[in-house]
Amino acid sequence: MTRTALLATGLLAAAALCALCLGTPNIAPSRLTVLAPGGAADGLEAVVVRDVRLPRLLLALVAGACLGAAGLVLQETFRNPLAVPEMLGVSSGAALGVAAPLVLALTLPGWAHPILALAGAALGGATTLLAAGFGRSPSAVLLTGAAVAAALQSALLVLMVMADQLDLQVIFRYLMGSLSGRTWAAWRGVWPWLLATAPLLVLCAPMLAVLRLGDEDATALGLRVRHARLGALAVAVLLIAPVVAVCGPIAWVGFLAPHLARRLRPDADVVRWLPWTVVWGAVITVWADQAARLALKPVETPVGAWTALVGVPLGVALLRGLRTEPKGGPR
Amino acid sequence: MTLAERATSTSPFRASSTRRRPVLALGALLLAVPLAAVLDLVAGRALSIGETWQALTGGAVDPIAHHLVWRVRLPRVLVALGAGAGLGLAGLILQAALRNPLAAPEVTGVTPGAVLGAVAATGVGLADAASPATVVIAALAGGLGGVGVLWLLTGRARSDPAETAVYGVLVSAALGGLTAVTLLAVPGQLGSVVQWMVGTTEARTWEHWALLWPWTLGWAAVAWLTAGPLMLLRCGDQVAEAAGLVPARARGLVLLCAVALTAGAVAAVGALGFVGLVVPHAALALCGGDLRVALPGAALAGAVAVCGADAVAQLLSRAVTGWGAEHLSIPVGAVTTCVGAAVLLFVARRHAVEP
Repeated sequence: MTRTALLATGLLAAAALCALCLGTPNIAPSRLTVLAPGGAADGLEAVVVRDVRLPRLLLALVAGACLGAAGLVLQETFRNPLAVPEMLGVSSGAALGVAAPLVLALTLPGWAHPILALAGAALGGATTLLAAGFGRSPSAVLLTGAAVAAALQSALLVLMVMADQLDLQVIFRYLMGSLSGRTWAAWRGVWPWLLATAPLLVLCAPMLAVLRLGDEDATALGLRVRHARLGALAVAVLLIAPVVAVCGPIAWVGFLAPHLARRLRPDADVVRWLPWTVVWGAVITVWADQAARLALKPVETPVGAWTALVGVPLGVALLRGLRTEPKGGPR
Repeated sequence: MTLAERATSTSPFRASSTRRRPVLALGALLLAVPLAAVLDLVAGRALSIGETWQALTGGAVDPIAHHLVWRVRLPRVLVALGAGAGLGLAGLILQAALRNPLAAPEVTGVTPGAVLGAVAATGVGLADAASPATVVIAALAGGLGGVGVLWLLTGRARSDPAETAVYGVLVSAALGGLTAVTLLAVPGQLGSVVQWMVGTTEARTWEHWALLWPWTLGWAAVAWLTAGPLMLLRCGDQVAEAAGLVPARARGLVLLCAVALTAGAVAAVGALGFVGLVVPHAALALCGGDLRVALPGAALAGAVAVCGADAVAQLLSRAVTGWGAEHLSIPVGAVTTCVGAAVLLFVARRHAVEP
């Protein structure tokens, strides 16, 4: 327990240091106190730390935390370890909601982006849920979700055909998930949503623990399974959409973080996994963002490419591991 | 009842009905093919219907019209027909062999693999959009690679349709991500490749057709010959074994057919969405569950679907010209996606709800 906490804290601190000091220009850690917001120093370095690196670090942490938590909620809701946001049409829907006005050259105020993303994510997720008959069969949900996600992806591609070359680059980078050039404005668009969603997330954790028992037992305990699934999906959508609106659908964080949390605390239950999932999601994303910033300096790579690089092989390994275990819910 | 068991009863049509209806349906589809082709021929923006007809029948028209009809429109129509037939067939084979009504080239790693192969080959300069042959080879290699990865992953679980499908989704997602990364590395290709990722019949020439038809015809013949084993596979591995079939071997052969057909189609027109997913359901509904009739039915239905969608896309492009967007041409993939997604949700709902 304490060792895990120490490890997570150490990783987060190292990532934060890396995010604030490395890059162009490199800054000595000893100078950070002077350069921090409200510090004494002025000039280029101060601007870089205060207005570029700090908001980006915060966004990476928050985005990872949200995607991780949403991933856990969805996986537990559908009793399928692969039920991640991007497999259920939630991420694609949100991305579509953001990309459509960009291509159609509609100028929108900043606050409208999360709302459009929310509408798209809700559309994608609800379509999957309804078409899969409220998720009675875990594998049916995944297949339906894949089909819905494919439909939304095609819609995105059609949009891209209509876009001109310059927009195309922007959209493509966004669709891979990228935190480059995000400032305090983006941060202001995200945090109120998350503040509102956090209590809902805490409230829905015990419900997930009951859902885990299976539909019959949950019904016997007095839980309305369909309502519970809809509610959980709504919470996941609220977590995902604002993040996607700002940094694009960063792939596989919602898969990796819950998986890590379960692996490190195999004897716990959903209520205890939830905070750990939040922590690991933040750790994964913030480190992936460091890789995205620094791996091919000065060219930035998309964050999503790095998370996918780790996520896909792990997903495969997980599936293979599942086969040797007795059939049941996610382990 | 599990998803797999429900997948075996895909046809709403009982075999107890008369034998005549499937054959009639096949005949109707055969008639629909030339209709769709003619519609597609005259749907374009540049020529009126009369001019098109004159150019076709060798009447006196100006050389530009003649060139347009014979060098641009006719190959376009033929390529649409061929690609549609290949995709429809591939979809039906995959759905029967994997016993999953939602299996399709898009979610079994075949189409994403083919796209990745073509994009990567174009990106590193091995293939060139100007020479279709290299793109076909690259797409085929990619498609085989995609399904090969799926094959390796599923290992001993090949008999479990649900698990195979989940792996397929994973592999497809991974390949799609790789394609995106490749495109970020070679941004110059982006504009032309995006067209092709949706699926487009623009600028197809006789060269494309010359590559497509022998390939599709050959593999379609092989696929039709495997109709018997395929029907056994659809009944489940135990039934197939009891009838004396080695399921793994038979499945390997029919999957190879499906990949080859898809790769050919993808190389010709790009990653047309939902044709391989929806057309098989239509074919089964029209022609009944007997695959000896349903396989040709799926090929014809696919050809009609893609050709019809292409005609609709061209008519839509004509319509948007009226609104002043002259340079915008709607890709055929946009039409198949919109129609396909709607149909798909209906199908998925029917199959996924517990009875």
